[in-house]
Amino acid sequence: MKTASTESTLSPIWNWKITALSFALLFFVGILAVSFGPVSLDFMKIIKTLFGLPGGLNGQERTLLIDLRLPRALLAALVGAALATSGAVYQTVFRNPLADPYLLGAAAGAGLGATIAITSAGADLYSLLPIFSFVGAILAVLVSFFISGKFFAEPNSLLLSGIAVGSFATAVQTYLQQRNSSSLRPVYSWILGELTVANWQKVAWSSIYIFIALTILITVSKQLDGLMLTDEEAYSLGINPNRLRVIAVVAATLATATAVSASGLIGFVGIVVPHLVRGITHRVTNRGLLTIALVGASFLVLADLGARTLLSPAELPIGVITAFVGAPFFLVVLRKKRLVSK
Amino acid sequence: MFKSKNFGLLISVAAIAAIVTQTLPAYAANPIPKRIISLSPSATETLFAIGAGKQVIAVDDLSNYPSAAPITKLSAFSPNVEALLNYKPDLIILNADATKALEIKAALEKLKIAVFLERAPDNLKQAYSEVTALGRITGNLTGAQSTISNMKSRISAAIKSARKTKKITFFHELDNTLYSATSDTFIGKVYKDFNLSNVADPAASADSAGYPQLQSEYLIKANPGIIFLSDAQYGESISTLMKRPGWNGIAAVKNKDVISLPEDIPSRWGPRLADFYEFIAKSISQIGTKK
Repeated sequence: MKTASTESTLSPIWNWKITALSFALLFFVGILAVSFGPVSLDFMKIIKTLFGLPGGLNGQERTLLIDLRLPRALLAALVGAALATSGAVYQTVFRNPLADPYLLGAAAGAGLGATIAITSAGADLYSLLPIFSFVGAILAVLVSFFISGKFFAEPNSLLLSGIAVGSFATAVQTYLQQRNSSSLRPVYSWILGELTVANWQKVAWSSIYIFIALTILITVSKQLDGLMLTDEEAYSLGINPNRLRVIAVVAATLATATAVSASGLIGFVGIVVPHLVRGITHRVTNRGLLTIALVGASFLVLADLGARTLLSPAELPIGVITAFVGAPFFLVVLRKKRLVSK
Repeated sequence: MFKSKNFGLLISVAAIAAIVTQTLPAYAANPIPKRIISLSPSATETLFAIGAGKQVIAVDDLSNYPSAAPITKLSAFSPNVEALLNYKPDLIILNADATKALEIKAALEKLKIAVFLERAPDNLKQAYSEVTALGRITGNLTGAQSTISNMKSRISAAIKSARKTKKITFFHELDNTLYSATSDTFIGKVYKDFNLSNVADPAASADSAGYPQLQSEYLIKANPGIIFLSDAQYGESISTLMKRPGWNGIAAVKNKDVISLPEDIPSRWGPRLADFYEFIAKSISQIGTKK
């Protein structure tokens, strides 16, 4: 009796109502996103089309909604979820609040791959840009792993080799770019982040990898909390910290590489969203990983809505919005957190 | 790489230059340059067209026209002063958009090498005055004048041959993420001369330089009657356009009025501008015939 009453006064590790709420948020933001664009569409007709009811949109208007707005919103959601979740996982694995999904050289590797595809003499490689950046990101992280070697003993050595590999890849990328000045603009616009060329094919292949990675990460999310303890303590809880770190980093890298190759480099989501969710809920546990994914998805869908509408009919690079909106918001949360801990 | 002999020479040249500039308050009349380096593909084409080709000893790595141009590995984008000095030039054509153009100009002038700073023209008039300026500085003013009159007559003939009374809308595609060029840009003004209406113009406020990124949805609504692909060299064509969602409803795609622009001509503001006008004229006159 006594133990039961003390338990009830303790707040639970994770409040699943928050997860349900973030599901609702993503749904709401998604509807909002497909409702706006340079062409105004009837809102009720949009809803009817989305839910397969009679009286929906027809012809060109239907194409606009189904083949342009919907895949774009879905891709934004996938990329946002991937980046936010990977960011949260990297922060736990490296016990570093500043860790972000691009830390182990994924961004620089993807940038190098993309630049090779753009600057290559053959026209054919340009269409393979997503594959090049995906392979570039994976290779860079693999090399970081390989060089650090002592990863199992010390996550920091992986972090450092990731930074070194990243700098190296950036150097090669800059060299290639300077040697091919005509490719400057496409490389630059890729780096700024693009969801403009979203289509169902892109949504399909990126959703496969991102779903696999996120499922793995959410499945091990309970154990991930063990990585916040010392390795001895983790072992005593029945967790193999080394194996768990490898699983977590591999899955997070898969998600990041997919996101990067689908949309270029979109900064800030991987750092802001995990801290935002943790700050607002006052929970550091990784059981919030699903919520972080959902909030990340909502954040990017909303940012992309801004990218499409603020300068309509022109586009604004989405990376500009994520940082412009994300940074001040993040500072407010940080400040509140500090006041609370005082 | 680094020869101490050359370095010593460099210092002494610099020292002499310093003394000379101190003792002589003004330049003497410039002699006609005999060792010109062109670090601008447009200027290279102009130099050869006005008859200054024999004076050109080296051109940058992108100056691929005409074939007689002595192409080197010199970079126009990030010029290297020492690499330029190796050629012992007496005049260097430098693009104003090159990395640190003004610092490089100052360094070269300190070494008594004349520098012509070439700026990307905003319109035809500026393009012509650049041809004139290159003619004057290289001692080929008559050649420049006849080049200009030739360009003028070809361009006005091209415009006359194709100018349509009915407004045709067009989209100029820079890349497959739908960057375009408004009528404020040089290339936009070329299309404007043909009385074409640019679908990128409503987005002009998005980029002060005139190169906004358009949305696919907007383009489908704007329904351009002709599409010019300047990214054809990157693999875009009517068949890739047809695969883009919703694009098969666009008039230009439906009627196969999608034009692949030649690789370099649209970005060379020299004598081949006339070629570009003639190309556009021909493309417009063939609208609606390919269905």
